[in-house]
Order: sequence, then C-alpha cells, then structure tokens
Amino acid sequence: MTVLSATSRAVESFAAPDPFMVRIRDLIYQVAGIFHADNKLRALEERCMRRMQVLAIKTYRDYYDCLTVKSIRQAELVALLNEITIGETCFFRNQPQIDGIRNIVLPKILEQRAKLSLRHLRIWSAGCSTGEEPYTLCMIMLEETATRLKGWTFEILATDLNERSLNHAKNGVYNAYSTRNLPALFREKYFAANGNDLQIDRNVKNYVNFSRLNLTDETKMLFMKGLDMILCCNVLIYFDGASKKRVIQHFYNGLLPHGYLFLGHSESLYGVSEDFRLVHMPSSTAYVKGKRNV
Amino acid sequence: MSQQVRDTILRKLDTFQEMPTLPVSLVPLLRYMEKPMEQMELQQIVDLVSKDKALAAQCLHMANSPLFGRRQAAQTIRDAVVALGFQRMRDVVVSCSVLSLSPSDNHGVDPTVFWEHSLGCALVCRQFASGIGFEDPGKAYLCGLLHDIGIIAHLWIAPREFCSAVEHARKDGSPLHEMELNSMGIHHAETGKLVSARWKFSDDVIEVAACHHDPSSASAHRSLVALVSLSDMLCRMSGLGHGITESRQIDLLEEPGFALLSQECPNLKNFDWAKFTFQLEGYMEEVHRLVSLLYRPQ
Repeated sequence: MTVLSATSRAVESFAAPDPFMVRIRDLIYQVAGIFHADNKLRALEERCMRRMQVLAIKTYRDYYDCLTVKSIRQAELVALLNEITIGETCFFRNQPQIDGIRNIVLPKILEQRAKLSLRHLRIWSAGCSTGEEPYTLCMIMLEETATRLKGWTFEILATDLNERSLNHAKNGVYNAYSTRNLPALFREKYFAANGNDLQIDRNVKNYVNFSRLNLTDETKMLFMKGLDMILCCNVLIYFDGASKKRVIQHFYNGLLPHGYLFLGHSESLYGVSEDFRLVHMPSSTAYVKGKRNV
Repeated sequence: MSQQVRDTILRKLDTFQEMPTLPVSLVPLLRYMEKPMEQMELQQIVDLVSKDKALAAQCLHMANSPLFGRRQAAQTIRDAVVALGFQRMRDVVVSCSVLSLSPSDNHGVDPTVFWEHSLGCALVCRQFASGIGFEDPGKAYLCGLLHDIGIIAHLWIAPREFCSAVEHARKDGSPLHEMELNSMGIHHAETGKLVSARWKFSDDVIEVAACHHDPSSASAHRSLVALVSLSDMLCRMSGLGHGITESRQIDLLEEPGFALLSQECPNLKNFDWAKFTFQLEGYMEEVHRLVSLLYRPQ
C-alpha cells in the first residue's frame, strides 16, 4: 500500500462533524439525557434534516437556534425527540441489556428475594408503548421457569400513557418491523401466524398486566411498590428536569432494596439522581438501588 | 501443571530467545519523543518515521483517523506532525510500531483482538485523563497502549497454554488474567513487568504493566496505574475485551483504582461515567477498522 493510497482511503472514511451538530448532540444530552456517540452522529444528522425540511431551514446553525433561542424551541425539541425515537420499539430491541438481565441481574435478584422468603418477582415496564418490551421480558422469564425460576412466580406490570398503544399491546399482533430482531426459537415457541403478522401466545399475555398510567401522577405512582426491576426506556427524555427527578424518586421508592432500573440505550441519569449506582454489564449499563460498599 | 508452565515461561523470559526484538524505529523514536517539547525538531521526527515506508503509511492512516482528532487530511508525515502536534504524533508512531510485535503463528487466537483492546484502552486512557484533569494524557495513552504487553509475550513463548486460557475465559465469561493464573501459574501482568523491564520501557510503563489488575500494589505511579486499571475495565465491559465477554456486573466507583485516583484527581467525583461509556461505544468501529488495516505480524 502506498502512502498516498493509504491517506486517500483514510480521508474518504471520515469527515469532521459540523460543530453545530456537535452542539445539538450536547444539547440533547443535557436536556433529555440521551447521548449520540460519534458513530451515531450521522443518524442524528438525518433526524435533524427531516425536521429542517419541515421547517425549511438550511443550516445546522439555524436549526440549533430553533432548538435554543426561538419561541418554538420547546415544541421543536419534542418534535426532534420524536424523530430520534421513532421506530425504536421492537422485540429484543437491546440484546446486551436482555442478556444482562437474564444472566447477571436475575440470579442476583433471586438470591436477595430468596432471603425474603418470597418466591415471587415483580417487574415493571414503565412506558411500554405497544408492548414489545414487556412481552420480550416475559418470554425471557418463561425460558427460565424450568431452571432458575423453578418454583417461582412472576408478574409483569406494563404501563403507558397512550390508550391506543395499550390496546395494540393487549391485542398482541405485530408486524414484520416489530419482530425483526425476534430469534427463531422465540418466534416458533411464543407466536402464531396471523396473516402477514404474528400473534403473541395467550400464555405470554396472561403474565403481562397492561394499564394506563401517567408517570407524573403522584398518587398512582405511590401504588407501584415492591418491585425487583423497572425498565423505562426512552420515556424520561420527554420530561423536564423537575418532573424527571420526581419520577426517578418514585422509581427509587418503588424498588426493593436490591432493585434495578434500566434505561434506554445511551440514556443516562447523570445530573438527575445520585441515589442510584451506575453499574456496567457486558455492553450495557444499569442503575442499582443498593448502597455502595465503600 | 501450572507451576511447570510458570517455570517454563520464566525461564524463557530470562533468556529472551523466543521474544521478538523491538522494531528498529521504535527505540530511537521513543527516546526522541520523550525529550522536552522545546527540544523537538519537526524534520528529525519526519526523518525518523520516513525511514520505514510501511510505518510511514500506517502512521498516515492513523493520523487521518478521527480517533486522533485530525481536522484536515494529512498527505505527508510532515503534514501529520504539523496537524496533530508532537505528542499525538508520538501516540500514532508508537501505536503503529508496537502493532508489529505479534507472532505470525497465532495458534487459533486472533491477535487483532488484543491490539483492539490495547488501542481502545489507550484512547480511553487519554480521554479519561483529559476529562478529569490528569496531568499527562499523553503518558496515559502510552501506558494504556502497553499495559497488556505481557499478553504479547505469552503469544510468543507459551502460545498453546495461553490460547487454552483464552478459551476457558471465553467459555466461563471470566477475566483473562484469572484464567491465565489458573492454568499457567502466571498472568500477563507479571509477565508484562518482566518483558517491559527487559525492553527498557520507562518506570511508569513497567509499573502499569505490572499492577493494572491490582492497583493497590503500585507504589511510585499509583494514580497512573489506577487510571489505566479503570480504563481497562471499562473497555472489557464495553466490547473491547480481547474477544472475551466477562459475565459480571461492575461498579467502577467500588474498584480500588477509583479510590486511589480520586485522591489525586478531585474532579473524578463529578465525572459522567455514563456519557463516557457511550462515547467509548462510538470509538469501537473505528478501532476495529484501524487495527484490521494496520495490523502486521512479524
């Protein structure tokens, strides 16, 4: 390989990001707690471009102004967050997180629960949208019933604000896009064909209790207690700082002392709560309620 | 059995016959690059790097990677030194030079996964050091790059035994150094200490190689060792762990390295670990790309 060909290939592979795109990335992290690493900046650019087309804006600099100084900034931020999270929901959305729950978190929780002599698990999918997340969790738990969960019972609470999403979830029929990551084993075991779609098995449905809940409803949140795990993915990004803190406080209160909180991929609690401990698992992170040993 | 393997490794390290010699360009470059900034001359660096055409091509590749922060395309070594500065250029040259230290016969283990871990760890060390106001990010990079040099020694002098340890670690989801100790009676940190001393690396590099799995055993360079130890752990949990997925949960703030490092870097208390972890994910593709492009065994 010549020096020149090496150089030109390297140059092709990289173009420095627009400084205003980097500012938009930082703004989204600051406001919504969701971070786009350098390799995801292109995806963020595409999302911004869609919004810029709608607003007839030509430069990232002008769009950054829209998100910060213009009178529409609040509405525009929500519109951009919608673009960012659109199409995110699917079965087995975050495989490292699922592996972490199954292989690392579940044994730890069972150990602690066994000490309480309560062989029952309570899991909450907060902001479950159309149900892919709680059903994924349920299938994982069912896979464990012959081994780790032998002699245990479990329930999955799944809540969302949107009635239409909840109806979709209760109906349990999913298209190819929603099931694109579904492993063949799970497809065969827990689904039946329904035209071009897939219908979730009735047995899986029976374990998941869907209900409507607004996470800012202080009274109703008090009833979410005795939980081992909460999953709340790409939901808190829409809340302002104060509401986010209140919701996280409710999560903290609702979890048992050994409880875990899982957020969406690249979503962080930095600056929101210091009550939870950030822990690393293979290619994923989680927040743990317990106190540090040091 | 493991005692026998350990004795054999120590004997081979003592004679050093099965170990590679350092690339000709590396030693003078390292010596030169350790000089104070004001004594460095652009032309001398350009001459030193350009002596080895393959090395020069690799350096340009790396210098043009976003991982090294370039803003404009460098077409020549001179451009690269001007664009990146002496310190970053040292990072590039040393990285490219050490990449050639692996044996060509790999006994079933792909050596690129070790270099991906080392390069990834070097980058994490540098960014971590900058993020917490650690005094010398360039030194952190170098130590991150060389911290697992003991693994390279194992690939040369005990390849079969080492590959078996890797296989066990992969199967069990256990840390590599624990599996090495189980099956070989020695792990790469102890080997790394001996080999880096033999190659006359600086004292801080030697201590990092020796103590990165047990930072509390460090003495003269405790905070540097702690910084590399935490970065190493983060890389291993983020998909840059020698092809091994360690099936466990870690809390970096409970690690001994954290307590040691916070004594010297008060900023560490407010460090945003989550964001740093997400940033690291952003490097990985480029680390894989660079190593696969630049890797050349002896």
